[in-house]
Amino acid sequence: MAAPENIVTIRNLSKVYAQGEIQVTALDNISLDLAAGEFLALMGPSGSGKSTLLHIIAGIDRPTSGECLVQGVDVTKLNESQLADWRNQNVGFVFQTFNLIPVLTAFENVELPLLLTRLGRAQRRRQVQAALELVGLADRAHHLPKQLSGGQEQRAAIARALVTDPQIVVADEPTGNLDSHSAQDVLGILQSLSRQAGKTVILVTHDPKAAAFGSRSIHLEKGELTR
Amino acid sequence: MNLPGFIIRNAFRNKRRLALSVSSVAASLFLLITLQVALRELTNPISDEGSSLRIIVRNKVSLAQPLPARQLQTLERIPGIVAVSPFSFYGGLYKGDEKFTSFAQFAVDPARTQLLLADAKISKAQTEAWIADQTSCIVGRMTTDRYGLKIGDRMQFTGQIYPCDLELKIAGIYHGTADDRNVIFHQKYLDELLGNPGTVGTWWVRAAFAAEVPLVTERINRAFANTSAEVRAESERAFVLGFVSMWANIKTLIGGISIVVIFALLLVTVSTMSMAIRERFRELAILKALGFRRRELFAFILAESFGLAMGGAIFGAGGAWVVYHLLNIQKLTSGLFIRFEVTPRMMGLAFSVAALLGVLAAIAPMLTVARTSVVQGLKTLD
Repeated sequence: MAAPENIVTIRNLSKVYAQGEIQVTALDNISLDLAAGEFLALMGPSGSGKSTLLHIIAGIDRPTSGECLVQGVDVTKLNESQLADWRNQNVGFVFQTFNLIPVLTAFENVELPLLLTRLGRAQRRRQVQAALELVGLADRAHHLPKQLSGGQEQRAAIARALVTDPQIVVADEPTGNLDSHSAQDVLGILQSLSRQAGKTVILVTHDPKAAAFGSRSIHLEKGELTR
Repeated sequence: MNLPGFIIRNAFRNKRRLALSVSSVAASLFLLITLQVALRELTNPISDEGSSLRIIVRNKVSLAQPLPARQLQTLERIPGIVAVSPFSFYGGLYKGDEKFTSFAQFAVDPARTQLLLADAKISKAQTEAWIADQTSCIVGRMTTDRYGLKIGDRMQFTGQIYPCDLELKIAGIYHGTADDRNVIFHQKYLDELLGNPGTVGTWWVRAAFAAEVPLVTERINRAFANTSAEVRAESERAFVLGFVSMWANIKTLIGGISIVVIFALLLVTVSTMSMAIRERFRELAILKALGFRRRELFAFILAESFGLAMGGAIFGAGGAWVVYHLLNIQKLTSGLFIRFEVTPRMMGLAFSVAALLGVLAAIAPMLTVARTSVVQGLKTLD
């Protein structure tokens, strides 16, 4: 059997922040490969650089040096506009605080990334419906975020991340604001995305139980990979 | 859902703030239009066909200085003049119980004013009755309507400039002039009450042709040059504008207030937009992460800001148009303003100011959004 193709290739990646006159090294010469369909749990204490690494892979932050190839594209070389398009087509985001737009229904929130595509209304509707069904939220499609529970909001956020059919889903502490039951649901959905839909999922978490849902865990400490 | 729909939803998310912001823009634009209309009405005298032919001749020293009545003979000999009459502003208080009388009273020579009052519509019988009775007057319809006066009624005035009071019998009611408010009575009656001083306030002259007015005014000025009572002749329009200019620099005053109104409007709009964007900063970062580009976010902000300002313009400028169209402004201002017309140019000004404000108010939030990276925006989340 052929080895799975790498979807993310990181080489000698460093990120240094300037805080006044002090230089803070968030990532220190990181190299990492991630295969397609992998569910990677990025672990580490606060300030270890795990979110920074996630942001660089997802194209919302830039490294100070090094390479970050995602599906063969060096995202560090793209300009702002190219990165925006690239993110829309290739990356789905799930955040700790859900970040749904409060004035839009669950359906409309999920539809939001599709407004940037050339899809017609009917096609958008089909894709949104499919994404909501995938996360088990079809019956709540026309509820506003304030009418949903935390778990339901996060499921809507996952549907929004999936609706453009990206290859990579990044989740930054997605269970941090959920009760244990809802957290299990959300992690189960992310796991099935990796196992059944072949999506590459990168999960940032403090929680070893959450990390256990992943196919691989890596630990960061003071900007370095420790294991 | 589509992008315009998304923008509208965002704009209406805080309905109270939106209503207050639109109202403040609307109120400011209403005020701006009101000031502009007032300025226009004060500095742009109403004119009719006759006014382009009329010339006012006053003492060169001051409007308050009278002119010798003997100048009449000289004036009558000047070529290009078809009618001339004394025209003395009496300036009395009607009934003696008002602090401010909203209409003027002028003493004239009735027999000589037929051509000068060519715009006035009044029956021949009433004119003849007026000419025949030295203590009678004719009154503009606006004034008779306002005070419920009719022919035969008596009007009493307390002198404020001249040391005499008047009691006038209404012989006729005229209309059709640009200002149907004035009371016009006999100069001879005023002269008698004053003991025949041999003076008049000003002269009212009618030129044969409008094109000759500059030439005739020049002739009049020359005719009395180097006499004991030099005169200043000018067209009726120039005279009225000169009169307005005596109220100090009203244009500068109203212009200054208008600028302050616009500046306050700018602060309100910028503040509202800054607040609206600041509280949505996290969402804008999320939209960026989802793939929305700067130009799309700029378009959201600009559309919202522009919409807010235009909403204010519709209510403010549109409201001013409706209000001043429906109100009886003459009655409301006790005759200070005869009309109060919101012109298309003023509507255009209000909408242009609103459009400019909409754009200016969007600049600061757009710069903030442009400068902030997705990660910085997301950091406001946790």
